[in-house]
Formats: sequence, structure tokens, C-alpha cells
Amino acid sequence: MKKIFSILVVLGVLATGCEDELTIFPEDSLSVPTFYKTEVDFEQAVNGAYAPLRTVLNGTGGGPSGIYLKEMHSDNTYYARNTAFGATEQQEDLADFAVPTDQGITTNVHVQNVYVYNYQVIARTNQILATIDEAEFDGAAKNNIKGQALFLRALAYFDLVQLFGSVPMHLVPVLSREDAALPLSSEDELYTQIISDASEAITLLPSKSQQDPGRATSGAARTLLANVHIVREQWAEAEAQARAVVESDEYMLMPDYADAFSGNSGNKNNMESVFEIQYKEGAEGLNGTFLYYSLPWPLDAEEVGSLMQTSNPQPLSGEGNNIPTPDILAAYEDGDLRKDASITYVNSSGSFWRDGTYPIINKFLEPHSLHFNHGVNWPVYRYSEVLLFLAEALEEQGESGEALIYLNQVRTRAGLGDPTGDLGEAIFNERRVELAFENKRWFDLVRTGRAVDVITAYGNRIKANPNDYYYPEGAEPRGNAFSNISLRYGLPASESSLNPNF
Amino acid sequence: MKKIRFGLKTLYLVLALFLSFNAFAQSTSVSGTVVSADDGFGLPGVNVIVKGTTNGTVTDFDGNYTLNVADSNATLVFSYIGFTTQEIPLNGQTTVNATMTEDATALDEVVLVGYGTQIKRQVTGSVQTIEAQELADLPVSQVTQKLQGKLAGVQINQTTGKPGQGMSVRIRGQLSVSGGSEPLYVIDGFPISGGINNLNPDEIEDITILKDAASTSLYGSRAANGVVLITTKNGTVGETNVSLNTSTGIQQVPQRGRIDMMDAVEFAQFKKEYYEDQGDPVPAIFQDPSQYEGKTNDWYGALLRTSPVQNYNLTITSNKEKLRTAVVAGFFKQDGVVINSDYERYSLRVNLDYNVSDKVRLGFNIAPSYIKDNTPRSDGDRGVGILFNALHTWPIMPIYNEDGTRTTFNNFPAETGNIFSYANWLTSAEQIKNENKNVNILSNAFVEYEPIDGLVIKSSLNAEIYNEKYEFFSPSTATFRINVPIPTTSEAIWEDQRDFSYLNENLATYTKSFGDHNFSLLGGFSYQKFRRDFNRIAANTFADDRLPTIQGAANIDRNGTFDNIQEWSLVSFLSRLTYNYKGKYLLTAAVRRDGSSRFGSGNRWGNFPSVSAGWIISDEAFMENQEAINMLKFRASYGVTGNNNIGNYTQYALINNRVNAAFNDEFAPGSAVSSLSNSNLGWETTKQFDIGFDLSLFNDRVSFIYDYYTKNTTNLLYNVQVPQESGFTNFSDNIGEIKFWGHEFALNTVNTTGKFRWTTNANISFNRNEVVSLAEGIDRVYGTFHITQVGKPFAQFYGHIADGVYLNQQDLDSSPQVPGRSTVGSIKLVDVNGDGVITNGGDNDDRAIMGNPFPDFTYGITNTIKYGNWDFSVIGTGSQGNDVLVRHLYSTTNLDGVFNLLSDVKYRFRSVDNPGRGFYGTTVGGGNVTGIERDWVNSRFVADASFFNIRNITLGYTLGGVDRFFKSARIYGSIQNVHIFTKYWGGPNPEISTESDGDGDGGNLSPGVDLSGYPVPRIFSLGVNLNF
Repeated sequence: MKKIFSILVVLGVLATGCEDELTIFPEDSLSVPTFYKTEVDFEQAVNGAYAPLRTVLNGTGGGPSGIYLKEMHSDNTYYARNTAFGATEQQEDLADFAVPTDQGITTNVHVQNVYVYNYQVIARTNQILATIDEAEFDGAAKNNIKGQALFLRALAYFDLVQLFGSVPMHLVPVLSREDAALPLSSEDELYTQIISDASEAITLLPSKSQQDPGRATSGAARTLLANVHIVREQWAEAEAQARAVVESDEYMLMPDYADAFSGNSGNKNNMESVFEIQYKEGAEGLNGTFLYYSLPWPLDAEEVGSLMQTSNPQPLSGEGNNIPTPDILAAYEDGDLRKDASITYVNSSGSFWRDGTYPIINKFLEPHSLHFNHGVNWPVYRYSEVLLFLAEALEEQGESGEALIYLNQVRTRAGLGDPTGDLGEAIFNERRVELAFENKRWFDLVRTGRAVDVITAYGNRIKANPNDYYYPEGAEPRGNAFSNISLRYGLPASESSLNPNF
Repeated sequence: MKKIRFGLKTLYLVLALFLSFNAFAQSTSVSGTVVSADDGFGLPGVNVIVKGTTNGTVTDFDGNYTLNVADSNATLVFSYIGFTTQEIPLNGQTTVNATMTEDATALDEVVLVGYGTQIKRQVTGSVQTIEAQELADLPVSQVTQKLQGKLAGVQINQTTGKPGQGMSVRIRGQLSVSGGSEPLYVIDGFPISGGINNLNPDEIEDITILKDAASTSLYGSRAANGVVLITTKNGTVGETNVSLNTSTGIQQVPQRGRIDMMDAVEFAQFKKEYYEDQGDPVPAIFQDPSQYEGKTNDWYGALLRTSPVQNYNLTITSNKEKLRTAVVAGFFKQDGVVINSDYERYSLRVNLDYNVSDKVRLGFNIAPSYIKDNTPRSDGDRGVGILFNALHTWPIMPIYNEDGTRTTFNNFPAETGNIFSYANWLTSAEQIKNENKNVNILSNAFVEYEPIDGLVIKSSLNAEIYNEKYEFFSPSTATFRINVPIPTTSEAIWEDQRDFSYLNENLATYTKSFGDHNFSLLGGFSYQKFRRDFNRIAANTFADDRLPTIQGAANIDRNGTFDNIQEWSLVSFLSRLTYNYKGKYLLTAAVRRDGSSRFGSGNRWGNFPSVSAGWIISDEAFMENQEAINMLKFRASYGVTGNNNIGNYTQYALINNRVNAAFNDEFAPGSAVSSLSNSNLGWETTKQFDIGFDLSLFNDRVSFIYDYYTKNTTNLLYNVQVPQESGFTNFSDNIGEIKFWGHEFALNTVNTTGKFRWTTNANISFNRNEVVSLAEGIDRVYGTFHITQVGKPFAQFYGHIADGVYLNQQDLDSSPQVPGRSTVGSIKLVDVNGDGVITNGGDNDDRAIMGNPFPDFTYGITNTIKYGNWDFSVIGTGSQGNDVLVRHLYSTTNLDGVFNLLSDVKYRFRSVDNPGRGFYGTTVGGGNVTGIERDWVNSRFVADASFFNIRNITLGYTLGGVDRFFKSARIYGSIQNVHIFTKYWGGPNPEISTESDGDGDGGNLSPGVDLSGYPVPRIFSLGVNLNF
């Protein structure tokens, strides 16, 4: 018996080295314990954090949800009703201010997409921020990556808080099922965090001239922070950030408004660009598709080809979205050079509406090689908006004279002289036309308290003259159109079912 | 007992040497006849040896022997498997006859249990052993096929007839949501990493199934699905024995059970009526159906053939001096009943066992095999499996051109309603290569040392090498897809898999008795490691179909080309204490502690304890007068086991390194965490309680075993949805609980003895399960056509309940409808939620449970008759109360006439006055109407798949005295799958369970789906067993 026990003791001693034998990481895939160690790891990680920005404006999940939620959900664009086509209510509900919402919860798929993709950015940046301090590599590179992560996190939360109000606030990576669902944080809590992240990003990020083109810069972070302060009506703070960008001498307006936009390639991240969502034409899966969703469908292959000049044009069938409204067409002053740069026309031979000639967004439209694959970047912040932020912040503080200087920098390029009437109104209208179709309009309506009035009137116009708003003769807006003009979207039902807090 | 024998043997060896001088001087010839006590017939093959020597012989066919014996006072030992060994002193006689009695319940009969053997009488767990001998005549390639119907509590289904594949083994109905459910296979003490379908059954000596937790808990985290212990052949005491077993047979698919499809005339008639009922002009080709008389193109039938199967096994066993050897060489070749499918196995096993000394024994086994099989994409859903494709192809589509050449591609003009066009499936089956070649080497080496009496220390090293090469090639002239014109893009896949597993195991067993107290203590330590390297290359567009090489491909398919590496390691400690008092009060306690690389770092070690107790009541004094009862033992056990089939890296948060970005048109590689880690991830835990008894009556003429078990599997591996605010969609966790319970009965009877000896083995098992809980807040998960719901049995068929058709306008008006779709003559579904409207899915879902893929009970019965030189056996297996979802109906009853149809569709609803049999609805209205019937899975798809299969009938005749060259010769004829008694109408195989990709077991949540897979053939074979 003794022998048995002594053998067992020996075996037990042998087995103490077991933990090493029992730790096997996958060899064909990196895993968290083996990743997030080197500069290259973190560079890849931050690159990965930019990726959802691209996706949310592409067609994944039924269309460019980000555009539908912020631009078509305003008086700037509408859908081109195709009475021969159904199953379009997800988009129509957004444009018609009829998103079915019950106790603050909605099943709209685009609302869900925008929510989910923002949280993807947040989860990825949280992972970086939680682990980067432990990693050992060059301080400048580390600050740069950390700054980008903070900027992206602030950008994502800023989008969420403006769209939804209170949302869960994750600041560390989720590691377990229990941590996955958090209670809603108040808008104030969220804004505090956004301001803190953006402020820290400003100190960590290099300026545009020092940064790899296309990545977040200190100027981008300042512009974001200025925007946050504008929304919070903290005019002095907004002025300070916008002024710092202007005085950085890193940015200038492009002489020609049409050149402010990235093009398919070659004009990306130009001197006016503060921050753009980066696309790349080609087979790597980094391309954009959003141009195709801002067209009046159906279009036959020839009509698509003449617009896009691709080698393999395909027909588009269904219902098109994001068509400029008569309202935005009317918002341009006479002689505004931006109107033609922003809007052009296309004929849809398959349309039942009038002669089938619709206005379409021109400012992003660029020829490219292959169907549904373009490299056009999406402008998040342009220098002209920084000038308008500065003008607005100054005007709100009663410094109309200086405000007018910055406003006129924008107007001059557009071929316009001094504005008429109230300066505040002028700045507000200037934002509408300068930044038309750039996902600014809905947020501007909400933050200035005009959303309900403007949209109610807009809805009444559509209901009174549906034919003016692209309804074919005899077609009527749906019964629920403009029945839910609320300032915030409901939270996604798919999330509500998994998060006990809402 | 064994150890004592070693000692004695040595002693006698010395004595024999000492006496050998004498012996040579006075050698005398002794002869005699050995007969069986049962019937008085001569027993061939009985070992006769002079006790204490290696001098011996074997009786001939008539039971006669002659032996030269040196010492006229020596003792002869007569031994034969299954009979009590006898010793008869010569006392100077030269004629010694022996009468052997069977020892089915011999007191010292041992059975294999985990990590050792135990005296059968004293086993306290639920264990069943099958001698390979019983399975020898079945002309099939896989051991598991041979075991069908033999084991209580084990459901073995042949889910597809693909040669060498498709067996599903479930012990006591074990299930899991996402883990594996196949039992653990242990070959000669080595838990192998996969299944046993490649093992040559002729290498097997016996198979032991461990069912309850007390028997399996020593296999710890791998034991919850049950354990199958396989012992391979080794030399038995006696002379060298050479046997050759061969059989050859032909296979064919029986007509009975084939899916009854429309012939060309019926089909044309259907199409004609289709247009007439619609009020449309009938296309020219359907105007006169009788023109197709005798011109049916039976696409399905054309893929089948009658094909040969052959099996050769040469076995040499010997037991000389200190060396025991067994060599088994086998060749098995089966051409499949579907053209261009085949299976070949070349196998060899060499087992050596060497007694170095009294105290030290060495063993070495090595078993290489090579297997090649090919099945040309036979199984799977429409557009995936060629058999299903052929089944629904229009019978008026020509297989051959007028000139006798084969058609290449078939479609009809759009006005005939033909929307699916097809390649020639014969060409596809012939030309598509879907080939596996694998080399498998199993080896064991051990040393056993007995330092003191009763203590045995054994250390072993085991290794398994498995290399598999898979090649798929579909040339430009063939495809398994539909709507793909020929010529098409040629495509190829190459897969290369290299597995290596090794196990070091160290065991010590100490056996000791103190008076009436008998103890045996086992302690052990083992370490096992597995690694798989897998590469896959997919390529297409080959310059020349004759050169399917990588360099011949224009494109490499990046998504289909990847590496995969899988590794796991397992460190285990195990211990068992067996105790009995007077051999009748029995107690066993065992525990295993497993540490696995698969388990999260916070949950790395699991303990798997068990206890069991038995009472041999028949040994009590008060039972002495119960003449009828030979043995009655009560058993009870409880234990905990685990299922570690949870994936190798599920615990880790993995990085997706394809989340790329671009900056200023420059590509920038990106990464992101793609899954949540779970450092507490662990095994699925099964706690099982078993109670039963073993009863033996009337001189062991009747023996009966009963077991009741109940077990709860908790911590099921489950991918729980998490809110995406986390950045993730789900989380792998151990959650939920399933409860299982059941009864098992096994009965063996010797009905007659004497010259006409008839024995019966029968078993019946009742297995039940119920889902106790799933994840928090989730009460159901859906399979393909299934629901797994809390409070209900697992994976029930889920769909609409069909209630005939709307017979007339009044019926339609007064019944719930599918808004905008239901018409007179269309399918009528039950409004389950009573809201007046039929809804598919969503909040107002009208779907309900409509069938159960699990049987009420399964059973098997084997009758064996021996009459003189004749032997005869019949094996029957059955299953009662299980349903199969006849999935192919979504094509084969598609009322739009785009596919060929079940012949019964001709009895569909055509008008109020001609409502048919109320089963198939009207064809009028197109997909808006007919789509409900085929796309909303409903109870019409569910078929009762109860069956009784006369699995095998064998008739054998043993030849005597034909030739002195062999000791015995037996010839036999055998029929496999003689006849299936079943009401199942969905196809020929009621055991079917097809996954949509044709892979076999249907997936955990979606069992029992018939997609018209490879049919299981009937086999007629003739065989010869020769012993030299």
C-alpha cells in the first residue's frame, strides 16, 4: 500500500507542471491573450475600429442606415415612391417620421444598424484603451493610437446621444455575459464622457500635417469638441475650439465648392477636409456603395451606367431613397454656386412619377470602374463647418461682427455676398445648403428646437401635394406618415429584449 | 486468479524441464474424444494440453485428439472458450475422453471495465459485453452496423447508406444543444480521438458498453455520452491457430420503400391537368400524355446499380512459451449501389504480449490501415445532392439522346413551366470525384510489473496517427448544382488532415483480501495530447479537365482556402476502490479528476466521482432453497460525468484579422476581437442514477437484466445571445438542463438444448428526455424544422398542423385562412392560437409541435439455432413511435409542376366535385396559393418512421473431415437488410437523418430529416470460415 501512495505522490509532483500543458492557444487565429502586445497589434486594432464607420453608410443591412437616419429623416431628402414595389417600410418610416415606437423601443432595422455599428466602434476602442497602457512601445506612436481611439469613441457616443438620448455607456471591454448589458446613462453623463474623451484626444493626436492622411487629428478632435459644445450651447467653449482649428493654419477652403469632396480618388483628405470616412475602390472590401442608394430606382443598366460610368452597369430595381426635396432645392439663394455642385438630375424610364426626371445628390457623385464599388469618402467634418461653428458661437455671444467675417468666408466661395436678415437665421440656413446631404440637417433641427415645427410643416406640404414629393399620380402618403415626430429614436427592440434595463 | 496461474505455470515449467529426460524416454500416445455436455456432439477446436507444459493439441472436427505425453501420470487440461476448463489426470490411461460443460455464468468469468477487469458476477454498474464472434457473419464494413439491435439502451441508426459512413450511436438517448453526443471509443485502453467506422471488425475480440455513471466516471470529462471499450484479438492458450474468413456478396436497393414518383405518362397527365384547371392552353408536349408510354426516364433509378462487396480476413493467433501473438490482415471492398461510389479498406493488426518474467509483462500492438472511399456528392438538399436532384427531375427529360448518346443538359421552353434546368445526373455521378483516402495507425505499448503479490503497476504509451487526403473535383462537364449549364466552371477542393494523438497512462492496482473482506484499489495518472493540422485549398476554372492540379487552375478561391489547427490536452488522475464482503455485498467508488485545455482558465479542473453498490441476494442463506434462481443481484449507482466536446478554443476571445481599413486609398490591415472569452467555460455535466438487477434462472437457461436510469445534463454548451452594445452578438456559456430517463430490458434464453439448440437474445429500451431549462429568459431554440422548448422533449418537429384542404367556398368562408392566399382547394391549416387567421412565425404564430424524432422504444431480437452441423440465426431490430420529417416533399409535391412529383399527387384536389383524397391541394393560383403547402412546413411532412427490420439472416454449415489440411471449415450464406416492416412512406430508409449538406447526423437541434439520401442496400453474401 505504501508503494501505491508513494507512486501517487510522485505522480502528483509530476502533475504540478500541468497548467502549462493545459494552456493551448489557437495557432491559426490570434486571441486576446496573445494579441494587444506590440505597436503593430495596436495599429491594426485602431484600424479595425474605423471599419464600422464605413459599414454604417454602406448597404449592409438594407441600405445606408446612417444616411437614412440623419438625412432622409429631415426635410432635405425623401424617397422616390415606387408603387410597383413593396417591403419598403423600413426606409419610408424614417422619411415619413412614422417609425413605429412603443415605450421607447422600435424594431426599425436601420435604427438597430446605427446603434450596433456605433457600439462596435466603442467596443473596439475600449479594447485598445484598456490594454494599450500595458504595452511597451514608442510613446509618440502610443499617444497617436490612443488619441485616435478616444476620438472614435467620442464620435460614436456623440452620434448615439444625439440620436437616442440616454444609452448604455461602456468604457471598458465587455468580458462576460453579465457585463454585456448596462443601464442607460443620462445625456449629461454621456456628454461629460464625450467631452473628456475628445479633450484628451486633442492632447494626444498630432495635427493634420503631422498625421497619416485620413486618420483622426487634433484638428478633427477639436472640431468634434466644438460641435459638442455647440449642441450643448456652451458657446464660449465652442468658440475656443473652433478658433483653435482656424488658427492652426492646417486648413483652408478649397477654392471651388465642388472640389471640397473627395472624389473617387485623388482629392481625398484635401486641405478643407477635417475628417472623412475613408473608402477605397476595389476588391479588398473597403469600397463604398452609398451612391447607389441615393438614386430614384428603378433605373435600367444604361441609366445607371451613364451616371456611374462603370464597365459593368446593372439595373436597379425597387424603390430609391434620399432624393433631394423641393424644399432643399428652394433653400439655395439665387446665384448660389453650390446648388449645381450639390444637385443634378437623372431620368428613370421605369418611373411612374411625372416624366421620371428626379433631382439627385451630385456632390458625392463620381465615375468609378465597377458597379456598386466606389471609393468616394464621406465627409464628417469640413473646414467650412468649422467656420460656421465659429460664426454661430460668436453670434450667439453677440459678436455679430466677427461672426459675419467667418460666415462670409463660406458665402464668398459660394458666389454670394453678405446675408440678409437675422444673422442667426442666416447662419442656420447657410449650414443647410453648405452641408446639405452630409447628415447634418436632422441634428441641426433638433438642437435648435425647430424639429417639430419644421417637420410638421414639411409633412403637411407632402400630404397636401404628394405629387411634388415624388408620389406618382394618384398615390398618397401612408396613413401613418408624420405621426411620430419625436426628437429621439426609440432604442432597438433586439437590444431591449436582451438588456433588462430598457 | 491470473497471477496465481503465472506462478504455478513457472513452477510447472521448471518441473517439466526437470522431468523431460524421462519424458523423451517414455513418450506415450494418448487419444480421446471431447464432447459437449449439452448435446453429446464432438467439440472441435478444444485445447488439450499437458498441464504445466506447452505440449498440447487441438481437437479435430469431430472432437478427437491425439497427443504424445511424456509422463503417463500427467494431467491433461481441456479448455475451450465458453466452457469450463477441465483437468483430467492420466493415471496411465491412453484413452481420455472429456465432456465439456458451458460456463456462461462461471464464477470467475471476467469482464472488462474501465481501467481493468472485474469478475462479472461482482460488477455493480450497467455494462454489456458482446463477443465479436456473434457479429462475424454480417457482411458490412462497420462495427457499429453489426451492433445494431444487440444492445439494450443503445440506439444505433444508419443515417445514410454511403459505404463506410453514416452511423449514429446514442447511448441512453444522450443529447446536447451544441456539443457532440457520440460515445467515447476506447481501443485496448486508448481513448481514440474519433469514431470507429474505419476499424476492421475482424480485429475485435469483444466490445463492452459502459452505460451508467459508475461504469463510465473513470473516463471523466469524456464519459457523459457513454463509453465503448474494444478489445482486440490476442493469442489464447493453445497452439497456433490460423483462420481465413472470406465472404463475397452482392448489394442492391430493394424496390420496396423507394419513393414512388410519377412516370412520364402520369407526369404529362399532371401537367395537362394543371393547365386545364388553370384555364390555360395546354402546351403541345403535354397534350397527349400517352405518347410517353414506356418512355419514362427514371433518373433516380439510373443512378443505382447492383454491386459487389467482398471481405477477406486472415487471422493468426498463437501462444508459445512466453509470447502471445495475434495478427489480423484484412481487405474489404464495397462498390456502392450508387454509381461511382466505393469503399476499400486494407488493414493489419499485430498484437504481441511477452512475459519477460513472472513479474514483468510487455505488450505491443500496432494496427495500420488504409481506406479509400468515393461518393460523388450523393447526399444533401436540392442542388447539393445528386440523388435528390435526380429524384425530382422531370421523367420526360431524356437521359439519352435518340442516337443513344447521353444528354448533357436538359431544359424545356419556358411555356412548359420548366424553370429548373439540369445537367445529366449520370454524368455528374460518374465524373465528380469526392474521394477520401486515409491512413490510420493505432499503436499501444505497455509494461506491466508485479513487484509484490497483488500489486500490479502498468505503464503504457499509446499513439494514434490519422492522415486524410480529401479530393473533390467537378470537371467542366459535370455539376451537382441545378440550373448550371454544361459546360460549366470546373472546381476542385483539396483537403489534407494530419492528426496525431498520444497518451501516457500509469496505473497501479492492488488487490488484497482480509478474511471475507476483499479489496482492490486502483490509482492512476494519464496525459493525452491531440493535434490536428488541416489545410484546405479550393480552386476553380481548370485549363484542362484532365489536369485537376493547383497549377492548372485559373483561380484560387481565397475564402475556401485556409489552414486550421486544432489541439487539446488532457491531464487526469483517477482512482477506484472496489470492495466486497464475502463476494455478495459489493461496493465500488471511483473518481477521476480531469484538467483540460478546452476548459477556461478559471475552471480548468473537473471532478467526476461515482459510487455503486450491489447485493447478490441469491448467495444469501435464505435463498438457498430457491432452486430456480441461480443468481439474483441488485445494483444501484450514482455518478457524475462530463462531455468535453465543446470545441478546443471556445473559451478564448479570438481576433478577426480581416477587419481592414483604408486611409487615403492605402490599404491598412485591421483587427478586432470577434468573440467573447469565457474563462469559466467548462464541460457539460451529467449526473446519472441507475438501479437494476441481474437475474439468472433454471440453470442459467434464462437470464434477465433490467435497468432504470435517470440523468440530468446541466451546463449545456450554449451560444447565448448578448446585447450588441457589448460589441458582440453572443457568448458561449454553460447553461440549461436536459433530463433523461429510461428503462432497459435484456433477456437471454436457451430455449432448447441437445442436438437442436435454440437460443434467443432480446432487448428493449425506452428512452425519454425533457428540456428543463435553457438560457435565462429563453424558453426555446429553433432547429431547421424543429423546436427545443423548455418543458418539452428535445428537438420536436415544429410547423403547421394540416387539416386537409378547403373543400368548397362555404368551408373556406367558415375556416381561418391565410389572408390573400387561401382559396378553395388549397391546404387548410389549424388556427392554433385561435385568432381567426393563419400566421407563419412572428407574434401570432400558428405553428405547433407536430412530431417527435425520438422513438418510444427501440428493440432487438436475435435467434440462433444450431442443429448438428447446421447453424442459423436471425437478427431483427426495431424502433417504435419515432417520426421523420420528409423534407423532400418541398420539391416532390411542389404543385406548380416545376419538379417531378410523388405519384400520389395525382389524387390532389382538382375541383369541388373532384376533391381528391384531401391530402394535396389545388394547383390553381400559383405560388401565392401552392407555396403555403410546400414552404410552410406542416404536419403532412411528418411520417411515422416506426420500423422492424429483419436485419440479417444467416445459414451456415460446418464441414467435417473433408481434408486434414484444415481443422474446421464452415460455409454460410447471409442476407443483410432482409426486409423492413414499416409504414414509413418518405423513402427507403426509416433510420435516415440528413443534414442539408449531406453530412449525416442532422445536427443536434434538427434530427430526423429525410432529404432522400443514399439508400441502404440489401446484401446477399456467401462466406467461408477456414481454420487451419
